[in-house]
Amino acid sequence: MSDAPIREEIRTVEEINDKIRRGDAVVLTAEEMIELAESSGIEVAAKEVDVVTTGTFGAMCSSGVFLNFGHADPPIKMTRCWLNDVPVYKGLAAVDGYLGATALSETRGFEYGGGHVIEDLVSGKEIELRAESYGTDCYPRRYIETVIIIDDLNQTVLVNPRNCYQTYDAATNSTDRVLYTYMGTLLPNYGNVNFSGAGQLNPLCKDRNYETIGIGTRIFLGGGMGYIIGEGTQHSPQGGFGTLMVRGDLKNMSSRYLRGASFYRYGVTLYIGVGIPIPIINERIAGTAALKDENIIANIRDYGVPVRPDKRPVVKRVSYAELRSGKVAINKKDVPSSSLSSYGMAREIADTLKKWIIEGTFLLTRPVELIPRHREFSPLKVRKRELTVLDIMKREVVTASPNDGVSAAARKLVEKGIDHLPVVDHESKLIGIVTSWDLAKAIAQEKRRLSEIMTRKVITARTDEPIDLVVRRMTQHNISGVPVIDETKLVIGILTTDDISGRLVGGR
Amino acid sequence: MRLRLIYSTDVVEKPILAEIILKTGVLMNILGAKVNAQKGELIVSVPVGGNQLENLVEMLQEVGVKAIMLTKTLQIDMDRCTSCGACISPCPTKALRFKPDWTIEFDEEKCVACKVCVAACPVKAITML
Repeated sequence: MSDAPIREEIRTVEEINDKIRRGDAVVLTAEEMIELAESSGIEVAAKEVDVVTTGTFGAMCSSGVFLNFGHADPPIKMTRCWLNDVPVYKGLAAVDGYLGATALSETRGFEYGGGHVIEDLVSGKEIELRAESYGTDCYPRRYIETVIIIDDLNQTVLVNPRNCYQTYDAATNSTDRVLYTYMGTLLPNYGNVNFSGAGQLNPLCKDRNYETIGIGTRIFLGGGMGYIIGEGTQHSPQGGFGTLMVRGDLKNMSSRYLRGASFYRYGVTLYIGVGIPIPIINERIAGTAALKDENIIANIRDYGVPVRPDKRPVVKRVSYAELRSGKVAINKKDVPSSSLSSYGMAREIADTLKKWIIEGTFLLTRPVELIPRHREFSPLKVRKRELTVLDIMKREVVTASPNDGVSAAARKLVEKGIDHLPVVDHESKLIGIVTSWDLAKAIAQEKRRLSEIMTRKVITARTDEPIDLVVRRMTQHNISGVPVIDETKLVIGILTTDDISGRLVGGR
Repeated sequence: MRLRLIYSTDVVEKPILAEIILKTGVLMNILGAKVNAQKGELIVSVPVGGNQLENLVEMLQEVGVKAIMLTKTLQIDMDRCTSCGACISPCPTKALRFKPDWTIEFDEEKCVACKVCVAACPVKAITML
């Protein structure tokens, strides 16, 4: 904290609240603040403006709601519970539960989940409740099935461990197939860029030194009032990845600002609207509150490389202004870009919060503790020994040259009892692959050389990859074997489904 | 105008489109194609209207190809739509875009009914007609 030079305080939160009560507080949305700072300068803006309102509306997977159902008669100690077939976490007291936004329906899969139940609850819809128990002396009932609406429940407290990401890595895809990710549909060969975040409207971009936002800050949450209850999980502000943990009463919220969502072939989540008032207590905050999309930078990463999020290759660093312009240049080509979070809704939220403050129905709070300005976000260490390609692959690989004849190759397969024949150049580097099926086809089509029939785009594996990952790859491409190569494309082994099943069944 | 051409089993092997292009001189552009042994379906864009278009449709019908004009391809439920933009970048023909007020605008003329947006929409606000 010592790196922040102490600036003169222009006004206190209490003084701002007095002005709000008198009806003469000056409240601007972040967009209006940008305009004012551009026309009159930061100094004037800092003097004139009391509060800047912000907003963000995006998919926030780390969200959920604590529920208390009340006791039935006779009562039940619910050990497993479902709302509209979506499992509720029941490792809590008898009739308390936590419904997470990403929990999938056990009957409808990716179509419906926790996020949708939360939206349906807020909309006042009837929800089917089902619960099981082993039965105890004090809670004898073992099964219950009923229908509830939100007003039947005692508490419905939205508690979201991670909301409001300050900025987020944008996504593109270098591979030759469509990827369906939590960053939406990513077209092959850098076909598009998807990004998320409200940029110049995002609250954590506007108070990026964490001078006013903290535990106890009153906020707009899902259309009602809520509070910040701490730093969010994975909070990593020094890299621009600050997050917040928030809570609010679902009963005061609106389904306009809480939307269940499905990401095709990925899963379900919840879109949430959050708006935070930034009191302009000094000139520095006026400066950050006036930051524009042009000054807010994000990485575009290649989601085609299936590694840890922070290791996905950075394709480009761009500003939110570029991302929002609708196209980004990648490899000298204009690539369409669009957002997954709604800028229109973020604007609406900043506007609504401004209205509440001007009307005097929303007063600011001084936080009891500020959010940390530095936090490491560490990866998960895999300490248990995992089965890798190196453990199972065959090291003696029978290979062929592109000039080999089809019948010679067929003889090789029969003699060695194998189905896959990697084709290599004179330096033993992989250039193709031929399978027994390819050879059958070659005979039918009267082809003679392997170079005419080999598959040139070879699906491969590396020695350090977990077997799980390679199995998924083989299933995806509907193949039964992959050559194992090093960084220089040298073939150092081969892995087939037979090797894997042999290892698993044989338990060597 | 865009047309959806549905080929029946008995004509699926004939070079109908090529014949019609040669005969009429209308420069059709194939936007999408799904063809197998049983049936075929093409989406084509034709740079003509009025009588010429009617003629074309008639010629196609005569040789056993059903031609449906794609005047309305998809519908966005604006109550469900949050104007997030998830449908915009995957759209191959840029038929979806933001208006200046950041709500979604759909350009019927550009749509080729590929349905990419239907899958991409997180709140299922888009339906194919």
